[in-house]
Amino acid sequence: MRFGDLLFMSAASLWKRKVRTILTVLGVVIGTASIVVMVSLGLGLNRSTMATIEENGGLTSIEVREANSYMEGDSTNQEPKRLDDTLVETLKANPHVELVSPVLSISVIAKCGVYENQLEIRGMSGEALEQMGIPLASGEVPVSEDELAFLYGNQVLAGFMNSKTGAGFWSDGTIPEIDFEKDAIFLIYDMDSYYNSQGNSENNGQSVKPPKKYLANYAGLAEGGMDTYKSYSWYVYCNIVPLENHLKRIFKGKLIPGQPSTASGKPYKQFYYNEIYAEVDDMEYVGEVQKWITDMGYQTYSNTEWVDSTKKQYGYIQAVLGGIGAVSLVVAAIGITNTMMMSIYERTKEIGVMKVIGCDMKDIRTLFLMEAGFIGLIGGILGLLFSAFISLLINRVVAGMGMEMGLSYIPAWLAGASVLFAVFVGMTAGFFPALRAMRLSPLAAIRRG
Amino acid sequence: MKNTAAVITVKDLYKIYRVGETKVRALNGVEFAIRRGEFCSIVGASGSGKSTLLNMLAGLEKPTKGEIVIAGEHMERKNENELVRFRQAHIGFIFQSFNLMDTMNAVENVALPLTFQGMERKKRTKKAEAILDMVGLGSYKNHKPTQMSGGQQQRVGVARALVVEPEIIFADEPTGNLDSRTSREVMELMQRVVREKRQTLIMVTHDNELAGFADRIFHIRDGKIIKIEEQMGRETG
Repeated sequence: MRFGDLLFMSAASLWKRKVRTILTVLGVVIGTASIVVMVSLGLGLNRSTMATIEENGGLTSIEVREANSYMEGDSTNQEPKRLDDTLVETLKANPHVELVSPVLSISVIAKCGVYENQLEIRGMSGEALEQMGIPLASGEVPVSEDELAFLYGNQVLAGFMNSKTGAGFWSDGTIPEIDFEKDAIFLIYDMDSYYNSQGNSENNGQSVKPPKKYLANYAGLAEGGMDTYKSYSWYVYCNIVPLENHLKRIFKGKLIPGQPSTASGKPYKQFYYNEIYAEVDDMEYVGEVQKWITDMGYQTYSNTEWVDSTKKQYGYIQAVLGGIGAVSLVVAAIGITNTMMMSIYERTKEIGVMKVIGCDMKDIRTLFLMEAGFIGLIGGILGLLFSAFISLLINRVVAGMGMEMGLSYIPAWLAGASVLFAVFVGMTAGFFPALRAMRLSPLAAIRRG
Repeated sequence: MKNTAAVITVKDLYKIYRVGETKVRALNGVEFAIRRGEFCSIVGASGSGKSTLLNMLAGLEKPTKGEIVIAGEHMERKNENELVRFRQAHIGFIFQSFNLMDTMNAVENVALPLTFQGMERKKRTKKAEAILDMVGLGSYKNHKPTQMSGGQQQRVGVARALVVEPEIIFADEPTGNLDSRTSREVMELMQRVVREKRQTLIMVTHDNELAGFADRIFHIRDGKIIKIEEQMGRETG
């Protein structure tokens, strides 16, 4: 028999028994929908966690730091391996590493009128700053290597405090009236001298000259309110090249705060970095690259382990939820088998006649398999639509509770797989009835006549 | 004559059913040969073994012992799959209770054996329509079986048996569900068609009058052929 004829005949015999077909299909609809909804909940949870990880520094970035020497024993015995330009070059040579930037971080005091704040400045390469993709409310990313300009995180403003009244965002919720772009903001790099000069009235009365203040050029401001926390929210970013030059000019051969010193307390010629930021081309290689760096004697940190454990955890959740859903599909499969068996008893004569007038045994089997497959297919498609509707409903409810991303998520593969699976279940359920139909004796038709 | 070679040869055929402890000999040593183009009736009372014989000829039942050679092939040596294939190509079947598919119209019912053969829709529909015209149902092509009388339904049944142009047609009490007038009409139709196409028709019946339409009549009783009657004055082709 031709495939088209087989399809048509099996569809026709389902159509002939509409009510029974609909009831059987309904079972598959419920089964498919419960699996899809359950799995979509697991996937949704997974997705929102992944998004959280993404916000916390991405999935492909690695932070390299100095190994904790005090962990290994006496720090004086062993100089820790420092982060320098040589290491930056080494990392750049790795084919899986797309981008490497040293991070020079330094704490400074910022003053703007009566407001005061301690800022954490992070100097990075212009390329890396762009790669971070910080969304900007205004201004631009400080890529220029000639001029020192600052990009403020969206929560930096909240750290400013009125030095006279002590009022600030964290104490009474008032947002300081500072416009980073228009107001003059002064930075004090030598914090030790500053605190010494502040404290002199209470101390022994010896006056210490307050350190010099420098005007900070504005580059940009990150998007977001005081409440939206992102990995960059608290920092002030600038290009590392002008920052290094600026620091050298300010401290003129003296020890720059945060930089290591020789045994005799003298500064080194070159800068050592607090951190090196490396971006790997694919999540797959993060672990590999990380191990490579660790083996060189540095401490590394990435979100890979977090991602791995999260994936594992949500894998279990999905399996459990999917298993619960699968129970109802099993029940539906039994329903299909039952329907097909009844159909065969009812059509014993018809099957016999078909055999007598020359229908191949395997065609009879195919006809019944197709009928069962059709029940699965229709049930699968309707079940998918139904679960899409439920998913929409769930997401609307949780959106009302503040989950923007939604709890239920049906990706294309889940949609496709669920329909295929429903067809598969249908055909499996119809397999033994189909064999039975194939083996029916044609004589039964004549005898019953 | 040139075409008198046997199309069916039955040798030493036995069918023994076991009912509890006792053995029932449904066929007890049957032998005969049927020539191409012959119309044969098998007549006997109920329980005489005539239906068993027909079932075995059509390959629906296996003999206990003996040989059935149809168109040069041994039926008793075929498995079920091969039998289906053989019927598809060589045999047409007419049932007592018509056994049409209720969901299909006349054309689709007639074309069903062609569908099983894998013939494409256009071709088989054309063929089925031609046969329906031949059996006089040209204006009932799109009627469903439930919209037709018994006689009309059996004409569709006859058309369905003829559509594959089989060498042999088996008919099991083809008029058993029809009144006598319609019976005659159907019998005449079968007789005419078989003559025109030089096909072999083997009909089982318990009605002696209907059996008289045939060229030869096999009388069967207790599993044995007791008499073969030649209808004189009839053309045997």
